[in-house]
Amino acid sequence: MTTRRLLSFALIAAAQFGIFEAGLRTWGSSEAAPSFQGLFETDPAIGYRLKPRARTRFTTSEFTADIAINGAGLRDDEEIGPKGPQEKRIVLLGDSLVLSVQVPFGQTFGELLEQRLNGRPSAFRYRVINAGVQGYGPVEEQLFFRAITRIVEPDLVLPVVFVGNDAEEAVSSRHKLDETRRTSEIVADSFLTRVRRLIRRSMVLQILRLRFVAATERFSPSWAPPEPPLQSYAAQPAPRIADGLAIARQSIEDIARTASTAGAATAVVLMPARFQVDDGDYGRLKEVVSAAGGTLLRDAATERFDQALAPLGIPRLDVLPALRGALPGPDLFYQETVHLTPRGHAVVAEALDRFIEDHRLLPR
Amino acid sequence: MVFNSLHFVWFFVVVYCAYRVLPHRAQNWLLLGASYYFYAAWDWRFLGLLIASTLVDFSCARALSRTSAPGARRALLVLSLGFNLTLLGFFKYFNFFADSLHGVFGSLGWNPDFVTLRILLPVGISFYTFVTMSYVIDVYRREIPATRDLLDFAVFVAFFPHLVAGPILRASNLLSQIDAPRRITREQMRDGAWLIAWGYFQKVFVADNLAGLANSAFDAAAPQTGINILLGVYAFAFQIYGDFAGYSNIARGTSKLMGIELIENFRFPYLVRTPQAFWRNWHISLSTWLRDYLYIPLGGSRGSESQTRRNLFITMTLGGLWHGAAWTFVLWGIYHGLLLIGYRAAEQWDGFRRLVAGPHPMARLLSWAVMFHITCYGWLIFRARSMGQIRDLTASLIANLAPATVNVHGLLVPLLLYTTPLLVVHACEAWFDDGLVVPRLPVGVRYSIYAATCYLTLLFGNFGGAEFIYFQF
Repeated sequence: MTTRRLLSFALIAAAQFGIFEAGLRTWGSSEAAPSFQGLFETDPAIGYRLKPRARTRFTTSEFTADIAINGAGLRDDEEIGPKGPQEKRIVLLGDSLVLSVQVPFGQTFGELLEQRLNGRPSAFRYRVINAGVQGYGPVEEQLFFRAITRIVEPDLVLPVVFVGNDAEEAVSSRHKLDETRRTSEIVADSFLTRVRRLIRRSMVLQILRLRFVAATERFSPSWAPPEPPLQSYAAQPAPRIADGLAIARQSIEDIARTASTAGAATAVVLMPARFQVDDGDYGRLKEVVSAAGGTLLRDAATERFDQALAPLGIPRLDVLPALRGALPGPDLFYQETVHLTPRGHAVVAEALDRFIEDHRLLPR
Repeated sequence: MVFNSLHFVWFFVVVYCAYRVLPHRAQNWLLLGASYYFYAAWDWRFLGLLIASTLVDFSCARALSRTSAPGARRALLVLSLGFNLTLLGFFKYFNFFADSLHGVFGSLGWNPDFVTLRILLPVGISFYTFVTMSYVIDVYRREIPATRDLLDFAVFVAFFPHLVAGPILRASNLLSQIDAPRRITREQMRDGAWLIAWGYFQKVFVADNLAGLANSAFDAAAPQTGINILLGVYAFAFQIYGDFAGYSNIARGTSKLMGIELIENFRFPYLVRTPQAFWRNWHISLSTWLRDYLYIPLGGSRGSESQTRRNLFITMTLGGLWHGAAWTFVLWGIYHGLLLIGYRAAEQWDGFRRLVAGPHPMARLLSWAVMFHITCYGWLIFRARSMGQIRDLTASLIANLAPATVNVHGLLVPLLLYTTPLLVVHACEAWFDDGLVVPRLPVGVRYSIYAATCYLTLLFGNFGGAEFIYFQF
């Protein structure tokens, strides 16, 4: 009797799961939506990458953008194809700030940069390739660049470092660089990635996962001492931040080496977090960090990355002054997704154009 | 500690596991310790007030049971009531009356340099003082014997499910259940689990999601059109119902799991067609308390019609003031007092009686719709921040209804989404005239309701941890 009842309940719960899943897929809009998660596929070395020829329309309360992935697994309306004799290619590596699913492709800073470069008289045609992937850190960018170097045939490589979390992400991904990893570890890692992707493909499971994470986070102070958030900006950061900076430096050094082998130059772009530009956001986060017993230094992460990468001798562009210089004015970042608005992209494109010109990173 | 916190979940799991293995006397000690911890988790400094109230009323009741001299008995009653009302008056109403007096003097051009105390309101003080007062009054009236057991009495006062937001329990109902060994039945487990799940649904899915919609009418920076204010008022009506009925259901459910039955505090209050029926079904434990310890001692309906009207007016005005130290609450009480008085007068007219109580479906629908909107206007008064806001919102409702300006996606659709599941279950309970009908429905139907309740709560609930509205009362 009890088994029959349990079975009945399980059947009813499964049927309702389907109804809620269908409803959320139809009316829900977030990065958890399967249509958005369908942009990604599993990669044995990196974990995941953009799925070739995937397409979706991404809509939130703040924006709507069509996203198309080309055959090489890069966000572009066109295929990469072989490089023409007078063509110069710039490859942008990075995370969601480079991928920029919040804006149409033509409004990304990469495309705007391409328009600016081609808008001036030159013997060359310039092409900017967006090789950003949501959630990537320096380690994934290093591995991804190795995989696409021959396809993209770069002349200039620009790793865009998000100073807000790239040090943390480098630490959590460093195991991917361990070439001596046992097969069992790789299989386990791949299995966990598959489970994560399965959960991410279901709106219902994704929301339940977020509820679970929120619940465990509320309890974590009971078994682990709380750590103030935004450690990359902390006056006294956790030791892992220094480790992350060192790993990030090694990854960028590897990217520069690979680029050099392919005959390309490398320069680094330092991308700030929104609160480094937005005073209101900064004031709020400063209070949050202070309440957690820490001290927030607004530009500490930018300065730490700048110092950590200085020994490489690679040109570096900090876009923070350009973004600050664009104030006051319409928003540079979206309020909910904290990514660049079309205006923010335009400001970054202008700064990049000037940087490339000043450092003569491309032939004219 | 609030019911919709993980702190409470862990607290209850630990307490319940221990409760199930302990003998009766040890269970009572556990309940007392747990209840004091539950209260102290909010602010331990006010635990002293709760203990003092317990000791004073226990002692007064014991002394009452030992003396039969009317003068001495009256003195003991006055001592107990005086102590409780002083506590309530000082902690809840001191600032209100001081500020009001200051305002009156100020309007006369005199600004005396008052010593103003900013007193923190101890959570639940309105509830536990009413619980202890009813006990002493019942002993004074010789309706119940005074308990000899201080532990049982302390558990009765502090029992954590009802301590901070009711229901306001009577000794005749709860003390006997604490005194006697408890046996937990299978039905209690099933009904208790459903009440807890349904209570959380009412709180985090209905009330906390509707809070934003209600705020859009009452806290908006820019003036709203009447239709959007009306939707905001509807949202608040269901918010306060979900919030308070949700709390009461969680309280009843947790008590049931421990083998203790608490009274039903809400019974489909928005499906009624008369003001009297509303008060028989809304916050039942308070309305019966006011009836038994205020309205009836004032004379109830035993005297002339004008005396009955006076008694209704006083009872409802003080009932409004009980809800909070603000003139808007007083006005809300007066509004309901006048409604009850007006209804009594209108009832004398046959045509009105036929319309309200008659069998014709359209007449029933019309009287229900009128009563629902009368209730909602009461909630506008209740929720307003000031008398000026009541005036402004009322003016917008009358002069600027502008149906074409309705905010469909921001207000109407969310309001329907968050209230429809509640109303479906509500209608089902009302149809069977049983607030606990869901666990007794056929397996397929009830499992569907259980699963939908869980999915809706987990997927769309607002887990921001907002406090229950009635904590401030």
